[in-house]
Amino acid sequence: MDPVITLNAVDYAIIGGYILVMVFVGYSLKKYMKTGEDFFLSGRSLPGWITGLAFLSANLGALEVIGMVANSAKYGIATVHFYWVGAIPAMVFLGIFMMPFYYGSRVRTVPEYLKLRYNEATRGLNAISFAIMTVLMSGISLYAMALLFKIMLGWPLTQSILFAAVVVLLYVFWGGLSSSIYNEVIQFFLIWLGLLPIVFLGLKEVGGFAGFAAKLQETLLHSVKYLGTSNNPLGVDWFGVVMGLGFVLSFGYWTTDFLVVQRALASKNLNAARMTPIIASFPKMLVPIIVVIPGLVALLVLPEFSSAALPTADYNSALILLMKHYLPNGLLGLAITALLASFMSGMAGNVTAFNTIWTYDIYGTYIKKGMPDAHYLKVGKYTTVVGIAISVGTAYIVQSFPNLMDYMQLIFSFFNAPLFATFLLGMFWRGATAWGGFWGLLVGILTAAGHYALYKAGLLTYHSDMAANFYQAIWAWSADFVVTIGVSLFTAKRDPKELVGLVFGLTPKPKAEARWYARPAVWGTLAVIVAVVLNVIFW
Amino acid sequence: MNDTIETQGQGAGMKQGHVLDLKLPIGWLLSAYGVLLTVYGLLTKKEVYAISLGINLNLAWGILMIVIGGGFLLTAFLKRKKA
Repeated sequence: MDPVITLNAVDYAIIGGYILVMVFVGYSLKKYMKTGEDFFLSGRSLPGWITGLAFLSANLGALEVIGMVANSAKYGIATVHFYWVGAIPAMVFLGIFMMPFYYGSRVRTVPEYLKLRYNEATRGLNAISFAIMTVLMSGISLYAMALLFKIMLGWPLTQSILFAAVVVLLYVFWGGLSSSIYNEVIQFFLIWLGLLPIVFLGLKEVGGFAGFAAKLQETLLHSVKYLGTSNNPLGVDWFGVVMGLGFVLSFGYWTTDFLVVQRALASKNLNAARMTPIIASFPKMLVPIIVVIPGLVALLVLPEFSSAALPTADYNSALILLMKHYLPNGLLGLAITALLASFMSGMAGNVTAFNTIWTYDIYGTYIKKGMPDAHYLKVGKYTTVVGIAISVGTAYIVQSFPNLMDYMQLIFSFFNAPLFATFLLGMFWRGATAWGGFWGLLVGILTAAGHYALYKAGLLTYHSDMAANFYQAIWAWSADFVVTIGVSLFTAKRDPKELVGLVFGLTPKPKAEARWYARPAVWGTLAVIVAVVLNVIFW
Repeated sequence: MNDTIETQGQGAGMKQGHVLDLKLPIGWLLSAYGVLLTVYGLLTKKEVYAISLGINLNLAWGILMIVIGGGFLLTAFLKRKKA
């Protein structure tokens, strides 16, 4: 099969320039990596705008962008719910309410918080599942990247996999989390500059929003109007969207996933840590510009998505086909670089999260406790090598068994769904006990798995797979919430003195050290207001 | 220096920032891209831009990127001069 896109020397120069800068940034950070905290948490020294943009980019992986363009072609403007409902409230909540406990308690990882708040078993459950998931996900996205570049550009799989792995290895090995974060910030600019040309040309060709309104189905043009029942392109009603996506899934991901929280922990002080997700929320609200508009444009300009071809259309190819449709060589190289950058920084993010959890929560807890810091720094560096080797191995296994990818993602969703209930009760209810936390989390995970089994057996039916997914999260969360409270009522309470700094109400409020215009609460409120206004505009 | 993994007290004075003025690499990268795209845009024939609706977008985007990249470099240099 011929590749979809042909690159020329200018395109390759653009790609090469990016790789050089990335490796250079990693190398110039090498001299700062003196302690474990330098390597794993950037020495807690970065300003809020850097960690904020990295917080956003860590999530803005290439698969996410391609998938969201596909969703937009499928579901229309309703895709904005993944941003304005499914991200902004959780990000603001993390910054205003949860960050004082994460950053203020000086924990280095999310599982470490669970250890302090609940017990070793709860930490172990979370740390081990997270470490396995993260390193396997990194392998899955490595494979997905290689496959995309093979179809798109004709690059051979093995070379793509090994090349990306070596580049990521170099810069993470040298610069740790700082490398990862700085490259995410560069990626942030590249992805906007790389994809905006498609947005402009697309809008010009279809005649702007008036063109969408004239030529697209009415149901694709509204974010909220058709959510009253599940008879809409998403196949989910408002309750599923608000509770499942907006509350359980979104809060579960944004407030407890170490991949993103780690960026905030790298901030130089509590105010910067709290501002991190809030700064990120503003560009996050604008991401629909580069995903939703291209998705809608694809429906109108690409023959592959004409109404006759639609039933068999491969939505995931929408972005790539648009690149081919609009971009001349030169800008094409820039767009490919943007995708490559988000793949690599996504992998680097997974690898840094993995080596931190492994070193602190698994190796430093169960294997070799109480060693000097220099020992853990070394372990962290070599864990990077091992983590990347496992990713490469996973990429090869997935290559032979593509179905494995879906199963893995499925199992990961079981682990993620209930987590937010454990954190919410842990941070805001002092009565939650150590074993309450553990059993709540475990039952929540099993509920998600059980719900999935019932759905697949046909005993539960939903309007769409997405609805099943949202409701599964709601059930898992509720089970965790109820069981944590139930078990807590019958098990030994923690001494409130031990919970100072970890639980709301037992922790002195942070003094308003920043001026009003630098306060998280002010900006967080503003972010929520803007998100509401955007929803009303696109109602 | 506290060396154990369990406790990590860190005084404010010990904090050494990972100082890398990110404006420099971003500025250099974007301006280099800008120059490359502008030059390439000037050298390419009109027919190349049939797909981009007849607009020489390499040229336009190249100039935009020179402006953005230059902006980053300028702020970085001004800051350095001040310090």
